[in-house]
Amino acid sequence: MTADTYLAPKRLDEALEALRGGEATILAGGTDLMVQSQSGKTPIGPKLVNIRRIAGLAGVVRADGEIHIGALTTIAELLEHELVRTHLPSLAEACDHFASSQIRNAGTLGGNVCNASPAGDTLVPLLALGASVELAAKPDAAVTTRAMPLGEFIVGPGKTQRKPAELLTAIRIPVPAAGGVQRFFKFGTRPALDIAAISLGLVTVKEGGVLRHVRLALGAVAPVPMRGVRAESMLEGRRLDPALIEAAAAAARDEVRPISDVRASDWYRRELVRNMVKRMLTDVSQS
Amino acid sequence: MGIAPEAQVETVAPHEARAPSSPKQVAKDSLIGKRIAKLDAPDKASGKTRYIHDMDLPGQLYGKILRSSRVHARIVRIDTSRARRLPGVHAVITAADVPYQRPLGVGKDHLPLKSDRVRSPRDEIAAVAADSPEIAAAALKLIEVEYEDLPPVFDAAAALEPGAPVLHEGKPDNIAMTFDYSHGDIARGEAESDVVIEDTFRLHYVTHCCMGVSGVIADFDASGSLTLYSQTQVPFLHKREFAEVLGIDPGRIRIIQPPIGGGFGSKLDIYPFEPIAIFLARATKRPVKLVYTREEEFAVSPTRQPVVLRLRSGAKKDGTLTFREVETLHDNGAYTSWGATTPFVIMQTISSLYRVPHCKYHTSAVYTNNPYAGSFRGYGNLQGTFAVESHMDKLAEALGMDPLEFRLQNAQEPGEVTGQGMHFKSCGFKDCLRTAAGRSDFQRKHREYRAAQAKSGRYKRGVGIASMLHVGGGAKIYPSDGCGTILKIDDFAHVTVMTGASEIGQGSETVIAQLVCEELGVPLDAVTVVNNDTDITPWDVGVHASRTTFIAGNSAIGAARKAREKVMAAAAKAIGYDAAALDLRQGMIVRAADGESIMPLAKLLRSLHFSDKAELVMTTHYYEPPSQHQDKGFKGDVSAAYAWASQVIEVEVDTETGIVRMRNVWGAHDVGRVLNRLGIEGQVEGGVVMGQGYALTEELIVERGVTRNPAFRDYKLVTAPEIPEMDITFIETMDGEGPQGAKGVGEAPAICIAAATANAIYNATGVRIYRLPFTPENVYRALREGGSKK
Repeated sequence: MTADTYLAPKRLDEALEALRGGEATILAGGTDLMVQSQSGKTPIGPKLVNIRRIAGLAGVVRADGEIHIGALTTIAELLEHELVRTHLPSLAEACDHFASSQIRNAGTLGGNVCNASPAGDTLVPLLALGASVELAAKPDAAVTTRAMPLGEFIVGPGKTQRKPAELLTAIRIPVPAAGGVQRFFKFGTRPALDIAAISLGLVTVKEGGVLRHVRLALGAVAPVPMRGVRAESMLEGRRLDPALIEAAAAAARDEVRPISDVRASDWYRRELVRNMVKRMLTDVSQS
Repeated sequence: MGIAPEAQVETVAPHEARAPSSPKQVAKDSLIGKRIAKLDAPDKASGKTRYIHDMDLPGQLYGKILRSSRVHARIVRIDTSRARRLPGVHAVITAADVPYQRPLGVGKDHLPLKSDRVRSPRDEIAAVAADSPEIAAAALKLIEVEYEDLPPVFDAAAALEPGAPVLHEGKPDNIAMTFDYSHGDIARGEAESDVVIEDTFRLHYVTHCCMGVSGVIADFDASGSLTLYSQTQVPFLHKREFAEVLGIDPGRIRIIQPPIGGGFGSKLDIYPFEPIAIFLARATKRPVKLVYTREEEFAVSPTRQPVVLRLRSGAKKDGTLTFREVETLHDNGAYTSWGATTPFVIMQTISSLYRVPHCKYHTSAVYTNNPYAGSFRGYGNLQGTFAVESHMDKLAEALGMDPLEFRLQNAQEPGEVTGQGMHFKSCGFKDCLRTAAGRSDFQRKHREYRAAQAKSGRYKRGVGIASMLHVGGGAKIYPSDGCGTILKIDDFAHVTVMTGASEIGQGSETVIAQLVCEELGVPLDAVTVVNNDTDITPWDVGVHASRTTFIAGNSAIGAARKAREKVMAAAAKAIGYDAAALDLRQGMIVRAADGESIMPLAKLLRSLHFSDKAELVMTTHYYEPPSQHQDKGFKGDVSAAYAWASQVIEVEVDTETGIVRMRNVWGAHDVGRVLNRLGIEGQVEGGVVMGQGYALTEELIVERGVTRNPAFRDYKLVTAPEIPEMDITFIETMDGEGPQGAKGVGEAPAICIAAATANAIYNATGVRIYRLPFTPENVYRALREGGSKK
């Protein structure tokens, strides 16, 4: 698992040049990479590029109606950040249930996104919040960037649309409407240090009791974090009542595609999706 | 040198510096029952303790083991030539390279290096010694093994079917071990019964999760004598076992135990990695260290034994138990370790926890291609108690009785000799029941929670009670259950106690020191306990059966009393007093009547030593408990004392997720007497959490012989926020044979937890679950299905 070359650039353009050949492994917090390289799942390439020292890739700012989160922002920083706590409480909640303090101090948001685990804790609220990712590359003299919605970026377990020469530099989230509703729920088998068996994120706006802009995201129930589009469309423009809640929860249960593994069976994951969507919507209807 | 001994010692005697210069009253100062920090705590807390993982010997090599990639197969060919050529590799060995090896373990069915056949994916095929663990690991990848698969069997019942694959020659029926026990007449018991119930209970795989993974260092000297740095719980018996497996003289094996990072029964047997490290050390003429990875620890170490237990129980209308009939099927795995003998303990709970006039028990441990089962704290009793106490609740309900009253009616009392021949000389069982129930308000809660079952609501509360009987004065499973002590007091009144009993974190070292202080009237810091070197310490049968405080404690007391007699006789002679009029307090010889100090103990010892008839105070004592080796029918008073406990658990069940939250545990433990209050609280709290893991979260998931979750990520130990509030009461019955009245407690606190939790879940939801663990998914499924019998 040893690399031939180790680089720790201080500037983004240097990092992008280092990635150009496409044989690089990117190291940020290392909380996934170290474990996966030890187990042989992610062999470290000939070149190990530590991006941790690049200036300007960390931090949270608000600009142009968006909240812009640098890829190197740690989970612990997100959890404490005023902008996140104020505007993105569901993301803050996910960060609070994220692994342990030690991992939260080292792990980065960019790393969690690029790891693309179906159970990735931040991915569910980010998907519900309509986040997009920003990618940079330096094919020649100039740095180029592109952006795409998170839902398109992640294509399979551990698989993204990031090209080998690209670096994920930021996550951008439209500032949610004031008075909007955000919920996050993670189910592990214990209250701490657990991987989600399922997770749910809900972002919506309640206008005079009517739900608008409903986005329901579900984690650990498909190869990628997914939207519950059928449940969303049932809820969109409607007023919550027990029958609607029951029907939407059943729709969410039926549209997820979970697997059975050592953490939970597919049946149990579906049951949890229904029960917890129902619980979440009931809570929203009463708030 | 020219310095007179007396002059030399006068300048350095610390106890005298503290001693009063003029006559003064010295108070009697007992440590019994006090809160004493463990003697090894400062080093452990500050990171100074040198575990085997921290030890390196000069010239040491690192060993690694190649294990089978098949579940059940014939080994056709092994090619180690590429591995041997890797730079940094000093030896590659297979069965063919070892001149002599014999099967090890309880069943003597387990060769360290497999020669022609593997029976589970943990099986050892080859081993490497290299300059670093990384080189050794790389070398393993260069070993080529060709297999020819054999049909596997993964289910104990299937292994008993005619035509099932046979795992071991000479065992055509795959039965590794059977036990049969009976007393009374089952048919008569059944005829007298007004209520008869029958259920099948299924118990799962769990493993010990010692913080210190398994490891050993083997080192031969130039004359061929072997020193093993080992984590064993059983150093003296294992000397003999190593000698048999390796074909060497047991007299030339020395076992030194560096501080052990957790045992819990896991180090009660020897395992192939130990002889393999010895083979490598012999082949390379270098010390070889072989330490498991955490994944190895999970995947290849023996487990708690999974059991299918069918139980029939009967009772009369008036609430008297009539009979119990039990049949158990134990998945032995591919080899026989102590797991196969756990029915011996299950049997005690079946026959003797409550008064049962008629009892019958049949059990088989059956070979499969699964991981093999070893010994684990509680030793079958968690499994047996789960079944018996679930049935006690069911019988009470069938009879319309309160579950506490029903238990009190059938509970054992002091003086009882059970059908199995166990004699309960001290027995605080009824006190335990009343205390745990009283402190938890069990009866009121039980009624109210049951009445609330039908109400709607996501969360349901419930309480459950369960009790346990376990050996508390050793267990005479060998012809002897003894322990030796050598004690010396030096010129400065410092006492060194050499005991055969090993310290595995249970706190025996501290308790032994306390007991010696009590006899010799010296402060705790004047005692050193040496307990980890077979060339120094006297014989003992090992850490098991919650025996160490009782057996080693009595042995240490015996040696200390002999030393005291010697000291008192010398003091009487020196001072001209009657020995009976003297006492030892705080390192001083005092007048017994009023405590007036007469002379420092150290001074007396020096005057004994540096006299014409020079004499040292050194004593030995061997303690053999007054217990019986059971007869062929498993009858006899196997322990010198018996421990009792009752635990009440309150749970909250989330009916939408199946999460069972353990809110409270009220425990009442008959421990004879509390010796070290801090130590015993730690034992009980730790045991409760271990029992909680067994009940709620822990499961080694084995699919087709392969452990699927060999890591803490997916093997769920209980974490801090899940630990319940605990209210622990100690019932002090002052056992007549126990050291200062104490009985063993090491295993007791883990035993009832699963049983009490099952009863609490039933009280909360009206659904009884017959299989462990109560993970959220298992509980949720049971709630949906309205209970799961199978």
